[in-house]
Amino acid sequence: MPLALGHRPALGRDDFLVAPSNQAAVAWLDLWPRWPGPGLVIFGPPGCGKTHLAEVWRGRSQAIRLAATARHDRADGDVPSLLGAATALIVEDCDRALDDHRLLHLFNLLTGRGGYVLLTAAAPATRWAVSLPDLRSRLLALPAVEVGPPDDTLLEAVLVKMFADRQLRVAPDLVTYLLSRLERSFAGMGRAVDALDAAALAARRPITIPLAREVLHDDGH
Amino acid sequence: MRNTVDPTIEAQWARIRGRLKAELGEAAFKSWLKPLTLITIDNGEVRLTVPTRFMRDWVRSHYADRICTLWQAEDKVIARVEIVLQSDMQPVARASTVESVKSARPTAAVVPVGNGKRDGAAGAVVVADVDALSAPLDPRFTFDSFVVGKSNEFAAAAARRVAEEAKVPFNPLYLYGGVGLGKTHLMHAIAWQIRKRHPQRRVVYLTAEKFMYQFIRALRFKDIMSFKEQFRSVDVLMIDDVQFISGKDSTQEEFFHTFNALVDQNKQIVLSADKSPSDLEGLEDRVRSRLGWGLVADIHATTYELRLGILQSKAERMGALIPPKVLEFLAHKITSNVRELEGALNRIVAHSNLVGRPITLESAQEVLHDLLRANDRRVTIEEIQKRVAEHFSIRLADMHSPRRARAVARPRQVAMYLAKQLTARSLPEIGRKFGGRDHTTVMHAVRKIEELRATDSGFSEDIDLLRRMIEA
Repeated sequence: MPLALGHRPALGRDDFLVAPSNQAAVAWLDLWPRWPGPGLVIFGPPGCGKTHLAEVWRGRSQAIRLAATARHDRADGDVPSLLGAATALIVEDCDRALDDHRLLHLFNLLTGRGGYVLLTAAAPATRWAVSLPDLRSRLLALPAVEVGPPDDTLLEAVLVKMFADRQLRVAPDLVTYLLSRLERSFAGMGRAVDALDAAALAARRPITIPLAREVLHDDGH
Repeated sequence: MRNTVDPTIEAQWARIRGRLKAELGEAAFKSWLKPLTLITIDNGEVRLTVPTRFMRDWVRSHYADRICTLWQAEDKVIARVEIVLQSDMQPVARASTVESVKSARPTAAVVPVGNGKRDGAAGAVVVADVDALSAPLDPRFTFDSFVVGKSNEFAAAAARRVAEEAKVPFNPLYLYGGVGLGKTHLMHAIAWQIRKRHPQRRVVYLTAEKFMYQFIRALRFKDIMSFKEQFRSVDVLMIDDVQFISGKDSTQEEFFHTFNALVDQNKQIVLSADKSPSDLEGLEDRVRSRLGWGLVADIHATTYELRLGILQSKAERMGALIPPKVLEFLAHKITSNVRELEGALNRIVAHSNLVGRPITLESAQEVLHDLLRANDRRVTIEEIQKRVAEHFSIRLADMHSPRRARAVARPRQVAMYLAKQLTARSLPEIGRKFGGRDHTTVMHAVRKIEELRATDSGFSEDIDLLRRMIEA
């Protein structure tokens, strides 16, 4: 049985692919630290590359990452010590669960020291479950940029990159085959690449169209 | 660097690109070969650059040999094709974009704070404070930049008196109002003004939560005495958002003692909150009544005229060219508070600088669509089918029917195209939702619509309109 060997995707700026669906977001990140406000909201569907974008920014800003809510198994109450001396912060998935008071204090501490916060979510800030008006208005005042569902160029490039991250070489015709059949999201392609990699390892076969056909149960539909 | 390449070589490169396009097809060419830039030919080596490392590896392994062969057909001396990263060739990048947006965030007279890792000129807006106890002040928040209207004139006048008179006119000054209406702006303005007029007076400004954390830290490090001394030796104590002290008993107690000690010494106190003292919950009655001892001034919700005034003044300070129609639109649409209003303006200006296009009403609406759209949600294929059918006045059933008449086939293709653009569904899945069609039918529809859009601008606008309606 093949082991699920971990692989770390390459997440540098040079590895990032700029396409129409994300070029506005990339332009905003490149603009930092000349953002017109103390932060930026990036929103877009799951698997559109928000985390990747945030990682690119983290490389430049030395940002720390914190969860949108405190973890109950840790004494997370002391917000200033959580932040330490950081002047840049990334908080992801803000539309899932959000601790209003915690984020407001983080926000105020950061802006008080001239810092920046990058927030990501699937939905724009207008739809986050924020009940504290002070926080809500701060969030809505931030510039926000949408990352669209990936377009064909980007999907193709990312799909090839997903294979490359696993040291797998695939033929261009397999890529074309997969692109016209997979769910057109990074998350969906990631699952497919996982499945293909596992199947290829188990069967000791190279990744080819016949193998893909079996894995995807493609009966012509 | 590009201009070192001579015209004959440019022509060769153009021919080679044409061949590659014909051999590999439009899609692969667009993805991988179009982004290549010819840099130099030197000693039989052709150098091409690509924007990303990943692309470099892909092009190297898949296309470099073919490019080399094609090049040898043009010029026998060519022996090798080297694919390199753009960033390795051109270490200076994007300066022009960054420069043009500089005006969006003022950088005058600022000192970088924090860990010092940051580029000093880069835009830290906060001035490092002389007083360790005090939070930094935002240089944008002065009386000069505070736009006065009916809803805030009383609070503004009271703030000015506190800032300008040598003795304490009323104690405390308690400013309250909804979020984002300018309480913090007035607080900072008072602090700036006092420091300017009476530099010998020690002004400490901080938020209630920071007061609380300082106090908790003092408790933990058994340093309560120096905490008390520090706070009781200030001349002007300003605490923002005191509502956050409510409910925290020991902090509230300490705040109360500090408050009383300063009032006894005739030192000025300025407080802000989101509610009037009597409406603050979780406060002891003795604290609550003390807060209302001096002057209580409220800031009301803004009027349309004030919002417009604020936008005009801010636009002028930013030096941005914004059509009056856009400012009126913002003043009309974003009524919640000033912070969000200014945030929207910042966004529009920065976006216009980023894309290098002037600001119009349409671009403003586009940039702010997530704010303006009250309840947006995911678009479904069913919705797309319904809207497209309505738009072209065909029956919804025709989306699934096998009929091939142009009058129904074209709208169906439009719906497939939009389903691909606006959802993450796979092509086979989209096909299934259109009466069990094959994914190749979807691909054909998408190609067809793309072709039509490229040749017929009226049709293209129609599709954009449809798309906006579905997304709205």
